[in-house]
Amino acid sequence: MKKRKSIVIAATASLALAGASTIAAAGDGGDATVSVKAMADALHLVMDSDRTVYTKKIVNRLVKKEKVIKASEHFEDDKALVLPAQMFRFGAELVAKRSEKLPDVNFTYSLQSLWPINKQNAPQTPAEKAGLKYVVENKGKNYYTTETLGGQKYFTAVYADTGVAPVCVACHNAHPDTPKKDFKLGDVMGGVVIRIPVES
Amino acid sequence: MTGDHPLALPILLAWLFATPQVVADGHYPVLPGEAGAGRSLWLENCEGCHGYGIGGAPIPMQAEDWAPRLAKGMPVLYRHALEGFIGPDYSEMPARGGNPKLSDAEVKAAVDYMTGLARFHITKTRKEK
Repeated sequence: MKKRKSIVIAATASLALAGASTIAAAGDGGDATVSVKAMADALHLVMDSDRTVYTKKIVNRLVKKEKVIKASEHFEDDKALVLPAQMFRFGAELVAKRSEKLPDVNFTYSLQSLWPINKQNAPQTPAEKAGLKYVVENKGKNYYTTETLGGQKYFTAVYADTGVAPVCVACHNAHPDTPKKDFKLGDVMGGVVIRIPVES
Repeated sequence: MTGDHPLALPILLAWLFATPQVVADGHYPVLPGEAGAGRSLWLENCEGCHGYGIGGAPIPMQAEDWAPRLAKGMPVLYRHALEGFIGPDYSEMPARGGNPKLSDAEVKAAVDYMTGLARFHITKTRKEK
C-alpha cells in the first residue's frame, strides 16, 4: 500500500523540490513527499512498461505472430512499424520538447550505450559513464548518484537496457557503425539515464 | 583433517546427493544426474534473460512462473525452445535461445537444466510453506 501511494504521489506531484532527496506533492497531497530515488524508479517503471507493451502487443503480435507488417529502423521508407528502441527515443525527445513549457516538470531521460551506433547516444558525463559501466558489470542492479552540471545538482539514475530479441542483437552486431559486434541475447547493451534536478 | 574420519566420505557423499551445490559463480545449483549436464549451456545461453525475467522470460527460481509450464510436458517445452514461441501475452521465446549454433541436443540439455532448476525451487518452496 505504501509503495502504491508513493507512485500515485510521484505521478501527480509537482517536481518542485522540498529538499535534496524528497519531492513535495501538490494539491491535496499536503505535506506528503516522495524520495527522488522513488520518483526515478517510478518514471523508469512507466517507461519500461510502455516499451514492453509496445514490443509485445504491437511488434510481436503483428510482426511475429500475425505476420502482417514489418518493423524497421527505416520505418517511413519501408512503411513499417518503428522499432521499440526508436519509440522509446521518440518519447524522450517529445518529453524534452514539451517540458520546455512546463517549468515544474524538470527531468530528462535518454537511452545511451558504451557502444552506441549513433555517437550522440554515448555517455557524456562521468556519472553516465560510471553508471553504464556499473549496470553492465552488475546485472540486475541499478545505479544511482548525484552530479553537478552547470552549477545545478542532479540526481542521476541508470537502468540496464538488455537485448531481448534476436533481431535487435543481430542488427546491432551487423551495423556498419557499431563499435561492438559480439552482443549476445540477454546482454546489457546500454542503459536508460534519468536525471532529476535537486537542491544543493 | 576431516578426511581422516571414518564417516567423512559417506557424509560427504550424502551431502552431495541430498543438497545441490551452490557454486561461487552464482546462485544456480549444480543438479545431480542428467539435469545437471546442461548447466554451463544454460548459463551461457539462457541465464541472461531467464535469470532476471527480462522480456517476460519465466524465472526458474520462481515456482509460480514454472509450475504451469512444467505441466505442458517436456516435448512441448523442447519444441518451444527449438523452434521459438510467441506466448499468449505475445512474449517471445526465440528459437534456440537466439543462438542458431546450438545443436538440438544442446538445446534440450539446457531445457533439462532449467526445468530441473524449476523443480528444485518448486520443491523448496513447498517445504518452506
